[in-house]
Amino acid sequence: MYRYFLAIRYVLSRRVNLLGMIGVSLGVWALIVVVAIFSGYLTEVKKRLIGATSDIGATLIPEDTAYVDLAVEIEADPNVAACSPRIVWYGVSYSPDAEPARGNGQLNTNGIPGASDDFIALLGVDPTIEKNVTAMTEWIENVDDPDLRVADASRPLAELDGEPTLVLSTARAKAHGLSRGDRVHVSSGVMHEGRAGEALELVEGWFRVGGCFDSEFAVFDGFHVYAHIDAMRALLGAKSSNKSETWVNEIAIRVKDARETVKTSQRIRRRLNRDLPPFRNPIRVRTAEQANSQEILSIDHQRSLMQLVLYVIMIVAAFLVFATLSMMVTEKTHDIGILTALGATPRGVTFVFLACGLTISITGAVLGVLTGCVSAIYTDAFNTLMKDWFDVDLFPTAIYNLTHVPCELDPVWIATVAGSAIGLGLVVSGIPAWRAGRHDPLESLRNE
Amino acid sequence: MTDPILSAEGVTKTYRVGKREIPVLRGVDFEMQPGEMVALLGASGAGKSTLLHVLGLLDPPTEGRVRFEDQSVSDLPGPKRAKLRHREIGFVFQFYHLIPELTALQNVKLGTMMDQGPLAWLGERKQHDQDARALLDRVGLTERLTHRPDELSGGERQRVAIARALVANPRVILADEPTGNLDSSTSESVLELLFEINRESNIAFLLVTHDEGLAARCDRIVRLRDGVIDA
Repeated sequence: MYRYFLAIRYVLSRRVNLLGMIGVSLGVWALIVVVAIFSGYLTEVKKRLIGATSDIGATLIPEDTAYVDLAVEIEADPNVAACSPRIVWYGVSYSPDAEPARGNGQLNTNGIPGASDDFIALLGVDPTIEKNVTAMTEWIENVDDPDLRVADASRPLAELDGEPTLVLSTARAKAHGLSRGDRVHVSSGVMHEGRAGEALELVEGWFRVGGCFDSEFAVFDGFHVYAHIDAMRALLGAKSSNKSETWVNEIAIRVKDARETVKTSQRIRRRLNRDLPPFRNPIRVRTAEQANSQEILSIDHQRSLMQLVLYVIMIVAAFLVFATLSMMVTEKTHDIGILTALGATPRGVTFVFLACGLTISITGAVLGVLTGCVSAIYTDAFNTLMKDWFDVDLFPTAIYNLTHVPCELDPVWIATVAGSAIGLGLVVSGIPAWRAGRHDPLESLRNE
Repeated sequence: MTDPILSAEGVTKTYRVGKREIPVLRGVDFEMQPGEMVALLGASGAGKSTLLHVLGLLDPPTEGRVRFEDQSVSDLPGPKRAKLRHREIGFVFQFYHLIPELTALQNVKLGTMMDQGPLAWLGERKQHDQDARALLDRVGLTERLTHRPDELSGGERQRVAIARALVANPRVILADEPTGNLDSSTSESVLELLFEINRESNIAFLLVTHDEGLAARCDRIVRLRDGVIDA
């Protein structure tokens, strides 16, 4: 009993122990809050990626393959909810009606990369099918500005004044000063088999702005422009003789059970490449996470780096605990003599100081977990408060095209952080505690 | 004559300082009867405190052995010696050696915590509290229960140390110059208390002292000279 009793009394009677406790709390707090925000951001990014690209995407589809044949194979999989044909092509846009924003274009696009460029990724879709696979319809309905809203949300890519339409992100429309009805000239290139072999040939066409969308996913909003898949076929198809009537170069697939996405993509890949002729590249089938692994990995890497940096705080706190405990053992040599005279064993004396270190680190870890969880949960509210009261934006969500500060608390991570704080406390208190246990009690009883 | 409660048989103690060996006790034979009050006299450096530490199982003898009742105890393993020390032997030191963070009551109660786990001790918490209060009352410190050592006088601190030595109901108390740091009137009252306890209980006392007058009041005087008991 004396071990616990004395440990608590020793810890409480020395204010310097508070420093160690605060240090441990601070480390735990920082690790929980920062990682919760990073994890929240990562989840948000994954959610938007999947929203934009669907659960699974099939690419590298040969031009002479008919979409309907592939759709039959894909929809035969028991976990496929729907699939949608797409033509993804890159080009350059120019508008005679554009009124480019003055000054720094980035400022007018909330920092969304690419929105002010002329370079675009054209996404040819059939809106009636695409809505079953991605959140395109919701994104179109997200737009409030009457000049940028699609006139008829049920037919977002319908022709306007006899010309095909484009649906752009609001960020792009604002950066280029475009509104509904404005004309946009699109140029691109296709590889064409000519007399002298394969050659790049220019294709171009006029479109009108049919309206805008807002996916809240910066990377997607920056470059992507929707067009009707038939308009894309008309723009690109005429130059190539071997294209199928219903050719696509991408198929977006939505699954029923998201937990089975990877297995489903593997099954679809096998099925689509079952009768692959010799010397032909297989159709690539990847999950959204696999297709965007660079983006996800980069955020994940930043999170890991941040964890490493924040662990330094914890190590500093551990050194603080070590220093205060070492000091305490030096001051308490008399007590070691008394305790031994009263019947304590060297192991018991060691435990007293080990328990001091544990008390400091457990208290620090518990406080850190509590304050960390509360802080993480209320980060967004706190940020809003700071913006409203002091006009200070601690977490500029607009830069990441977010509406709120994301937060995701992972119980396993919280347990890991708390466990490592306690473990580290145990390790650093072990050395002074061991020294206390080895101290000769007679030395302190003799030398008064 | 009854069997001795504590005895030393041919005890030697040699300390090594660098390459030099310093003999402090050179074959000490000594015994104490239950309830006996023995004065251990000797000049500084004669080995009085060393003998006390050896008899109290704080320091193992280099040669010879210490017996408690009829059992040889100096060669017991550390934890067993610690348990015996806690249950059977109480210490009173010249410089009190109280834990400064604890009140008088807590210092005494600490003596009840040494061989019990938290649950067992908490189960008997009320009894321990009553025992500690009764002992502090016995040594005249009823009004000083919640005072810390730095709020007590030298005599009061020594009384707390005596209460702490008594709380585990030992059969032997080893007192190393218990009045050496007190003024004469306080010394007298502390000694009176020790003699009173000795008379009322069957606890054997070994008092290490320089004071011939005090020694004369004890049942027996043992003189130590250059590490040997003077016949």
